[in-house]
Amino acid sequence: MADIDPKKSAEKNGRQVSENQLTVYIDDQPYQVDKNDNLLAGVLANQLNLPYFCWHPSMGSVGACRQCAVTQYQDENDSRGRIVMACMTPVSDGMRIGLQEQHASEFREQVIAAMMTNHPHDCPVCAEGGECHLQDMTVMTGHSARHYSGKKRTFTNQYLGELVGHEMNRCITCYRCVRFYKDYAGGKDFDVYGSKNQVYFGRQTDGVLESEFSGNLVEVCPTGVFTNKLFSAHFTRKWDLQSAPSVCSHCAVGCNTSIGERYGAVRRVVNRYNEQLNGYFLCDRGRFGIGFVNGEQRIRKVSGIRQQSAEKLTKLDVAKALVHFKGQKFIGIGSGRASLEANAYLKKLVGSDGFCAGLTGRQMALAAQHKLALHRYPAPGIPEIEQSDLVLVIGEDITQTSPRIALAVRQALRNAGLAKAATIGIASWHDSAVRTVGGKLFSPLFSLQGMPTKLDDVCQQKLLLSPRETEHTLEVLNQQLRLLLGITSEQGKASAKGDISADRKAFISELIPMLLRAKNPLIISGWSHESAAVFAAINELMEILHSDACMGHQAGVGQEEKQDEATADKQPRAKLVLLPPQSNTTGLLHLSDAQTLSLEQVLSRLTKEQQTGDIVDGVIILENELPALSEQQAALLREQAETLIVVDHSQTPFTEMADILMPAAPVSEGDGHFVNYQGLCQRYYQVHASVLPVLDSWRWLNLIESSIFNAGAYGGQKPQQFKEVHSLTELDLYLSEQGIEWPFDSKELHREKQIARQSHRASGRTAQMANISVHETKTTQSPSSEFGFSMEGLAADAAPDRPFSWAPGWNSNQSVNMLPGQGADTSPKLDFANPNVLLESWPLVTEVEDETALSSQDKHSLTFIDHRQWFQNEWQSSVNPEFRMLCPGNQLIVASDYAREQSWQPGDYVAFSFSLPGEEHARQGIARLLCHDELPAHLVAGNLLAPGRSSGEGVIRLSPAQASDITLYQQAEQERLAQAKADKTALLERLKRADQTIPIRMVAGGLEDV
Amino acid sequence: MIKAPDKPLTSLVNLEQPLSIEGYIEAGGYQGAEKALHHLSRAEVLTLVEDSTLKGRGGAGFPTGMKWKCVPMYEPGDVNAPECKYLVCNADEMEPGTFKDRVLLEGVPHQLIEAMIIAAYTIGAEKAYIFLRGEYHLAARRLQQAIDEAYRSNWLGENIQGTDIHLDLYLHSSAGRYICGEETALINALEGKRANPRAKPPFPQFSGLFGKPTVVNNVETLSNLPHILKHGADWFKGLSPDSDAGTKIYAACGRVKTPGTWELPMGATIREVLYDHGGGMLDGLKLKGLLPGGASTDFLLPEHLDTPMDFASIAKAGSRLGTGGLIVLDDHNCPVSMVLNLLQFFAQESCGWCTPCRDGTPWAVEVLSRIEQGQGSLDDLDTLAKLCDFMWLGKTHCALAPGAVEPLKSALKYFHDDFEQHIEQGCCPYQGGH
Repeated sequence: MADIDPKKSAEKNGRQVSENQLTVYIDDQPYQVDKNDNLLAGVLANQLNLPYFCWHPSMGSVGACRQCAVTQYQDENDSRGRIVMACMTPVSDGMRIGLQEQHASEFREQVIAAMMTNHPHDCPVCAEGGECHLQDMTVMTGHSARHYSGKKRTFTNQYLGELVGHEMNRCITCYRCVRFYKDYAGGKDFDVYGSKNQVYFGRQTDGVLESEFSGNLVEVCPTGVFTNKLFSAHFTRKWDLQSAPSVCSHCAVGCNTSIGERYGAVRRVVNRYNEQLNGYFLCDRGRFGIGFVNGEQRIRKVSGIRQQSAEKLTKLDVAKALVHFKGQKFIGIGSGRASLEANAYLKKLVGSDGFCAGLTGRQMALAAQHKLALHRYPAPGIPEIEQSDLVLVIGEDITQTSPRIALAVRQALRNAGLAKAATIGIASWHDSAVRTVGGKLFSPLFSLQGMPTKLDDVCQQKLLLSPRETEHTLEVLNQQLRLLLGITSEQGKASAKGDISADRKAFISELIPMLLRAKNPLIISGWSHESAAVFAAINELMEILHSDACMGHQAGVGQEEKQDEATADKQPRAKLVLLPPQSNTTGLLHLSDAQTLSLEQVLSRLTKEQQTGDIVDGVIILENELPALSEQQAALLREQAETLIVVDHSQTPFTEMADILMPAAPVSEGDGHFVNYQGLCQRYYQVHASVLPVLDSWRWLNLIESSIFNAGAYGGQKPQQFKEVHSLTELDLYLSEQGIEWPFDSKELHREKQIARQSHRASGRTAQMANISVHETKTTQSPSSEFGFSMEGLAADAAPDRPFSWAPGWNSNQSVNMLPGQGADTSPKLDFANPNVLLESWPLVTEVEDETALSSQDKHSLTFIDHRQWFQNEWQSSVNPEFRMLCPGNQLIVASDYAREQSWQPGDYVAFSFSLPGEEHARQGIARLLCHDELPAHLVAGNLLAPGRSSGEGVIRLSPAQASDITLYQQAEQERLAQAKADKTALLERLKRADQTIPIRMVAGGLEDV
Repeated sequence: MIKAPDKPLTSLVNLEQPLSIEGYIEAGGYQGAEKALHHLSRAEVLTLVEDSTLKGRGGAGFPTGMKWKCVPMYEPGDVNAPECKYLVCNADEMEPGTFKDRVLLEGVPHQLIEAMIIAAYTIGAEKAYIFLRGEYHLAARRLQQAIDEAYRSNWLGENIQGTDIHLDLYLHSSAGRYICGEETALINALEGKRANPRAKPPFPQFSGLFGKPTVVNNVETLSNLPHILKHGADWFKGLSPDSDAGTKIYAACGRVKTPGTWELPMGATIREVLYDHGGGMLDGLKLKGLLPGGASTDFLLPEHLDTPMDFASIAKAGSRLGTGGLIVLDDHNCPVSMVLNLLQFFAQESCGWCTPCRDGTPWAVEVLSRIEQGQGSLDDLDTLAKLCDFMWLGKTHCALAPGAVEPLKSALKYFHDDFEQHIEQGCCPYQGGH
């Protein structure tokens, strides 16, 4: 009877008794549970132990594992009761259940015993050991002795790619993997096979998992069937990890993560539950993309600074190197992957008129529209997205750029099925019943894309269009809406010109009534097309949908259906999500103002300086590889800037050229905030102290300020009191003292004790260096940090401060269900006031439609649509060997008809040639051809460009490839893959070697501590 | 007027060559459907079926009228009406020891088609499926031929017999899983999904095939309908002296003199079936026990021979009527071996969804195999008893595992000595005992 912990009754644990709560008597004690929960969720919410496997808070109940059996009593006189599965039982007021009743308790133990007839006893060599839900549940039920004497069934494992390992013998057949992969995430290449006790979860044949959410299998699997291969390759037990709360640095969604490290090497990323954002799931880029912090391309040494001592760099060294530039005029180029602090600090140093957000003019116009949208229409979080009943996706393949949003959209589409189920009294948690009732009934998804996407299977209507056509279609949509709603076009806004094709007409006429009828419509777009015109059209669409005329219309429609609802419904319904490319692009939008320079302006300032007398001496590039610059432009920048200071964590073309190179800390080694697509400032914490001279970029900027910008030496501005900052809190305080609008309450947080970065150990620490010494090395001391490198310390009381998830008896990530949730503790949200100043500087330039140019093209000239897969879509993670191995090489998707016309087969190699704006020479190369039936003949989608490099209105020409060129290309591809493989091996060897020579570090931060 | 038959289900059965549609109509066929379609409203047919107290013959004995009554009905033009409702005939006769539906499917296919027209009309279904056991090749051929004939004679298709009633009937041969006999697993299989039983609610009447209202009925159940329509509810009730109305096709197999099927009034005793019709045990053999209604029912003993084979009486004796197909165990056959054989079947046919069934049935097989091989211990009997409890009703997702438990649990009760002998003697005492 060890499995029950009758801790607190409802009165004692101080839960709010609201109208959504009702009372359930559990072992004769009253508890408050949410009336919309099933019994299992209600029991767990009261921090009572009840084992389960197949239930998942996000995926609901199916009643497969039968582990959560409890006894339900008719009334207080019923002493026998009957066994029910808690996960399949709705709660009702006054219901009485028993967790401790013997029959149910024995049954729960028997369920484990039955699972153990096949589960191998390989915990010591299993990567899940120590954080295994099955281990926890086994202990919880008290099952300890084996009675089965037969043979265990065995399976053959599959190769599922470089990211996820497969060990089917451990499977306890809870079906969570297939329910996540196929049902929840819409994956097509993973299923359940076989029957009886030979149920197999995997692919039809060995092969790389296709879903961008495959890593969640590792977390949803209650045992060690699916494991994180990257973690296993350089393995450590959970209890040996030092973890810190972090924020994913690979896109703008800002999923909360927990990064674990040991001995100064990052080992893995796991999901950190945030009920207002990412919930329980991460995409694979977030989970597996962290490898770059350990990578070979990291910059670990300064250059351009002479060190007095070979062993260490001192502040004096830095000051000596920088002092020559004192008083010089610098332009600062910020970055969407640097923290808000670093960008703001840089802007403060160089002044508003010297700050560039690292964006081109085209991107600045886009940013201006985006900022306007953020100002007007607060972006919904993922739970809100999941409530949408109509989704319109415009010009952004969210499945590959911001996969977590696509996963949320997929859930939103289930709302129609959920609503249907609700009409016959089926609760949303009853997953199998909802899917039975809902079948293939989906809420409408409309999609205007340049290329086929993975959401097409659940799409009601889609059009494949070029960016220009998308813009035009939106204009027609807006025009028709205005006509319908009787809104007069403001300032004689030009009406959409020209006729549109029948399919676009049909799309619009199908969309309009549904858009007006929808209760929670959602529009999603992003930066992929880099089309400010599309964003402007979206802003206009939102304006129409939020207009009084529209709301009046909706209320009118509502009246016909239901009178009482019409009066209540006065809020604008439509929501907007615009997805920028990088983790802190939104922070850059916040910092951008009327004077912010585009990259083109930076170049012209540099080149024109002689004529105007507006001398610019140098450029500081902050964590930016500037992909939007062509090679010529990059060379020009170098040539014209007298001094080039680069602060970055990994090699870029500019780190090579820099006069002074300062190694920056990446997300795992630094502190800062990223601003997600909604404007939420989310804090990421240093996971392990960086090895000097690697420092937070804001620390470098502090050093730069002290040497170059100190004491009013700069440009005649009012002298400021320079302050040395030692922590992020000090920096935040310093920046707000400087009159910078700063969103944070910069009070020092004082806890009596630090929060522990390590979980309680489940066993002795793993003796990694026992061949050298049996003593564990002394861990880093971090007195100024909120987190201590120890298992001793406080447990975090709120989810944002939680380095790892653990609860008594719950060592796995399932412990999150036993921990208090987010509470009211949310990250501060930025205010995007005064969007107009940016709009005035970067007005929408109506590009002249050049229909004649298009029509006069020969038929080999096609419109190029940039389309990369998730592992190629972000610069930092794309260097990972595993991601490079996933990369299929150059690929171009063309219309099947077009390919047939050219007598090309899918899989053929073709030669391409296309010019980018600002590049003199056409890019040429060989690409593998893919065909798609629905793609229009004039479009080509492909992955030829690096993330951040826009094709503009790219025109591409395809021609048959020469056999010799194909051979050369294939050889190069093979070499590329071989190199990736070799890099992977080398990296692993280096990391394992490094484990044997761990520097003993005493204090984190500062320069002179080594 | 043809005299009302006392064996309505089988009176037209011809296993050599079933009646063509002309022959069937000549023999009085399609009169029930005619009456329903032309003369009775849907509600009137439903009332008639309810009044007849017809119970499902698939094993569970659920009143057919009540099942139909749950199907939501809509006025024409109702916006909430589903675009389609379905009727499914469960002809997946895979219960070991049961072959009663086969007689009807092979012997008089038009009777089933007529019945499905009536049922579909009553519940407002315009599409119907016969989900046929995969091994019933002959039945498949004959059914398909009958369906084709019915289409040609306008008993199926659009505007049946000049009415505004439509019905499309499809024959689907199963890929072969015992669990497809469970109606929601059958529906999943029909949709092309894994044959796992669904969680209930929602019941198929609300959300069945492709999420639409669906009724699933057994072959024998349906086959009663034309006769109830033709001769009325009172006639049907009068067929049986028992509390359960109508006739039942009983069967016997095992080492009896004349195994076979016989249509008898509901409530015929086991003795009647086994001795009057099955001819009793083969010479030299004694009756040791029997399963009254297929493999998933509890053993009964010779002392139960005078129990009437109706739902209530068999339940009172400690078993279930099930399909009404007797499986007879004689005194020269090993009960442990028989139970092992049955459990192997159930372990093989488990769909693998819920833990007690998926891992419990193979565990029972493992223990029984050891006992049968003489390598068991007395502790094993405790393990078996525990497993019986582990897989019992309420703890599993569907009725398969509890069905598997029934013969095991009753064998442990009635043939405990046999189990102990296996353990004590270290071998099967029946070996070579044929």
